[in-house]
Amino acid sequence: MAHILEVKDLSLHYLTRFGQKIHAVTDVSFTMKQGEILGVAGESGCGKSTLVNGLMGLFIPPLYPTSGDVLVNGESLMNRSPKDIRENVLSQKVSMIPQGAFNALNPTRKIKDIAADVIAAHSGNKNINKRQIYDRLRERFDLFGMETEHILNSYPIQLTAGERQRSVIGISTLLNPKVVIADEPTSALDVTTQKVVVKMIFDLLEKNIFSTMIFITHELPLLRHVSHNIGIMYAGEFVEYGTTVQVVHDPRHPYTRALMGAMLSADSEQKNRKPTTIEGAPPSLAKKIEGCRFAERCPSARPECRLKTQGLRMVGERLVRCDYAE
Amino acid sequence: MLKKYPTARYVLLRSIWYFLTFLVALALNFFLPRLGSDPVDIMMAQGSYSSPEIRKQTEENLRKNFGLVVVDEEGNIVRDTVIKIDTVVNIAIDSVVDEQGSIVVDSLGNAIVKESRDTVIKERPEFVARKSSKISQLFNYIGKVFKGDLGTSFENQKPVSEIIMEALPWTIALQLPTILFGWIFGNVLGALAAYRRGVFDRVIFPLALLMSSIPFFVFGMVLVYFFGVVWDFFPAIGGYASGITPDFSWEFLKSAGYHYILPFLSIFLILAGGQAIGMRSMGIYELGTDYIKYAKWLGLKETRVLAYLFRNAMLPQLTGLALSIGTMVGGALITEMIFSYPGLGLTMLKAVQTNNYPVIQGVTLLITSCVLLANFTVDILIALLDPRVKASLTMDSK
Amino acid sequence: MLKLLKNLIKEPMFVIGVFLFLTTVFAGLLGPSLYTPQPRSEFGYEAPLAPRGIEVDLSKNTITHWVVHRGDTLYAKETIKKDSLGNMLNNTALAKYWIGTDNLGQDYVALLLRGLQNSLYVGLLAGVIATTIGTLVGLFAGFKGGIIDDILNMFTNLFIVIPSFVVLVLVSTSFPQGRSLTLIAVLIGFTTWPWTARSVRAQAASLRGRDHISLARINGASNLQIIFKHILPYLASYVFMVFIMQVASGILSESAISMIGLGPLGEGATSLGVILNTAKNQSAITDGLWWGIFPAAIVITVIVFALYLLNNSMEGVFNPRLRK
Repeated sequence: MAHILEVKDLSLHYLTRFGQKIHAVTDVSFTMKQGEILGVAGESGCGKSTLVNGLMGLFIPPLYPTSGDVLVNGESLMNRSPKDIRENVLSQKVSMIPQGAFNALNPTRKIKDIAADVIAAHSGNKNINKRQIYDRLRERFDLFGMETEHILNSYPIQLTAGERQRSVIGISTLLNPKVVIADEPTSALDVTTQKVVVKMIFDLLEKNIFSTMIFITHELPLLRHVSHNIGIMYAGEFVEYGTTVQVVHDPRHPYTRALMGAMLSADSEQKNRKPTTIEGAPPSLAKKIEGCRFAERCPSARPECRLKTQGLRMVGERLVRCDYAE
Repeated sequence: MLKKYPTARYVLLRSIWYFLTFLVALALNFFLPRLGSDPVDIMMAQGSYSSPEIRKQTEENLRKNFGLVVVDEEGNIVRDTVIKIDTVVNIAIDSVVDEQGSIVVDSLGNAIVKESRDTVIKERPEFVARKSSKISQLFNYIGKVFKGDLGTSFENQKPVSEIIMEALPWTIALQLPTILFGWIFGNVLGALAAYRRGVFDRVIFPLALLMSSIPFFVFGMVLVYFFGVVWDFFPAIGGYASGITPDFSWEFLKSAGYHYILPFLSIFLILAGGQAIGMRSMGIYELGTDYIKYAKWLGLKETRVLAYLFRNAMLPQLTGLALSIGTMVGGALITEMIFSYPGLGLTMLKAVQTNNYPVIQGVTLLITSCVLLANFTVDILIALLDPRVKASLTMDSK
Repeated sequence: MLKLLKNLIKEPMFVIGVFLFLTTVFAGLLGPSLYTPQPRSEFGYEAPLAPRGIEVDLSKNTITHWVVHRGDTLYAKETIKKDSLGNMLNNTALAKYWIGTDNLGQDYVALLLRGLQNSLYVGLLAGVIATTIGTLVGLFAGFKGGIIDDILNMFTNLFIVIPSFVVLVLVSTSFPQGRSLTLIAVLIGFTTWPWTARSVRAQAASLRGRDHISLARINGASNLQIIFKHILPYLASYVFMVFIMQVASGILSESAISMIGLGPLGEGATSLGVILNTAKNQSAITDGLWWGIFPAAIVITVIVFALYLLNNSMEGVFNPRLRK
């Protein structure tokens, strides 16, 4: 089966005002098939958000691609003009569900108008009349099992947090994108609403409204129930990449283990384990780093870790960036 | 009762608030000029009067004009009879007469005189104009204002309302479009500077900052000097060429348009500069918000994103306009004075120079009313345009 | 605090603003006492550096009699023999005026320095009054909330919509005599505070719910203690920025009210606005006598611009989002 999304050795950097390069994402590779959900986890500042922009082909200065490629249905997103990306990729091929739906919706526009703007922006030169657009919206929002008329005719301020989040998901998936990137879509929601939102995402995936999804979060527990595969990011790199079962239940990279320790300490399975915190901070990405990037904070670091750059290698059907992962 | 119509309720509440504010403004307009010395005394001190009767007559007319004395239905001053007590000393000088009835003379042959003093107390009724109390003066004033009576000019005995009506069209024709266009132009420029940044911003921003710190009148003077005097491109002063009578003839309109350019520019550019500064920082703030990022992620057209940005940054700017409209009008009035533009500014300047209190008070009242009206309009506009405000209205009334 | 100062010093706008403002303040403070004015000329509006009086050229045996009238320099020339009179006249050096004279023939430099001093005095005093009243009202309204807030807010809004310009005109007219600089400054201060109150109120209200305030309240601190110990220090930089703007608006208000002829009166009370007003009344602009207008106009603009620069650069440092 053909890959919907193929990311090959993607590296991205920021160019500061003083000409300094900050390598925010280094050599990220993964592939996704129809119906797959990939979870990406890591501390804040690990390059998750930069990766999101790269995956959409959206390079707004000071962000630039260094090397690698992103292919959606075999079509590359690199080296394309911002106008081309805007018209032909965003919302249609790759779409984004942002964090904090309340602020993501223009407060002075009704939901139906924001959605209509999306359709209008991607209809090329065709003139679609408002009536058609609204009919299309109604049809789509009816799928969500919500009060369609109420939601479409409301301003964001008049909706509940759950309604807003679902509106955002509805708007982001309006044009049946191949890849949907969700950035913490359930944070800031109460547990019940979280469940409703997660169910809605699965529904849409099942109904084939979008094909694959990348779920970005700093909460590992959530990924356990949602994703098929998990990639753990540290300092711009994937340090571990494998199936959810492998990564969550049998983490091999010291960083993944530390993350598990920090996040799952309250979990029933881990109750007897002491909560661990990861001391220190990630290295600065402005300089070239020799050796393993996690070495400074690694509890099981050896002297040679600081010297030898670690590559991703297969350890029991998953990729790990540590030579001592066994 | 109006709970079902939050917007109508809001408009009603705002109307009431502005009406009350207007009453306060009326009271201020009435009391403030009376804080220091009595205006009638000041005016009386200026003139010269041929006789005490005329002086008294003038003073009484002034007091009547100012509503300082009680007036009956026919407009005559109500007088109280005050019993004045005058002490009169009668001095009689008589020659001294002897028993025979002949005048006694001294050695030089002059008659010897004697004085006889005789103090008489006389009661004399005088009709003094009855002074009205401050409160009744105020109510009298308010009543008159609502009837459109703003008093009579001290200078030429013309009704103040007539003088104001002559000047008002000029002021409105100058200020309304200037403030409106300056506001729009400045905001568009500011939004562009925020959105594009780069070179555009680097040129526009310092320029706008400099423009906004030049006082209206200074810029007006600079324009008059260079364009009106040195290079003589435009007429330096006046609203139309002398020798033309204001009517709707082509000649008059052409002349008025020609005279319009400099005052228009001097207010417009300064105003636009200030607005551009405000809009730029608002725009930069809005650019960092999540909804703009999301709109970009969704691949919305650039013009659409800019429209989002402009509209949402414009709403606080509109509130700002409501707050600063009074200052703007004040500045523009002074610009009128610089250009001797025949509007309210010049009317006020002339009135100040001649201590023409009724005219000063009339002009200030009219300015306040216009500013209140403009504020009210902006308040209602914001409620209609901003769904956030609208939604909060619905919540308030729940 | 030190770090903020360091950041501020890096801002070119701030440095320029401080430099311009300090220059004007020093000129205003020391200028009138340091500068000895040129003797009064018998001609009004004498041009800057124009030849004036009687000029004697002994080498050519000529005496030139310069007559200056409102900026136009006319001269009548007559030649006399070099004699005792010539020697005497030689001693009358040419007293030239750097920026000309005003309508009464006074040295404009001296006038300008005095005007600067007076305008700064009015601006600073008005700024202090307006900031104090406004900050107190705003703090109380924002901190207390509830009915006190409602009442103070209504009062504030009332004075925002009624133009302060109008109030100034009305009060000034009621003092046809004895309008001193202090009176004008106090009037301006009392009419422009609502701005400060409004913005300080918003800031104070946002602080009301903070943890350290609640903590202080639980610990039994009185309202006054909370306001002055726990809220005011947080707003200090903000209040200072507001003060800067109030000073600028005080200077502008003074010159505006003076332009209508309702400014300070009396000997020595000449402010920059009064200079402009006199020049305007003498139709100096339309007669092309630029020195009667521009020096004072430029000085006002420079002070206001310096204050705006200060405010703007400080806003940039305190609110980092606006930077870059």
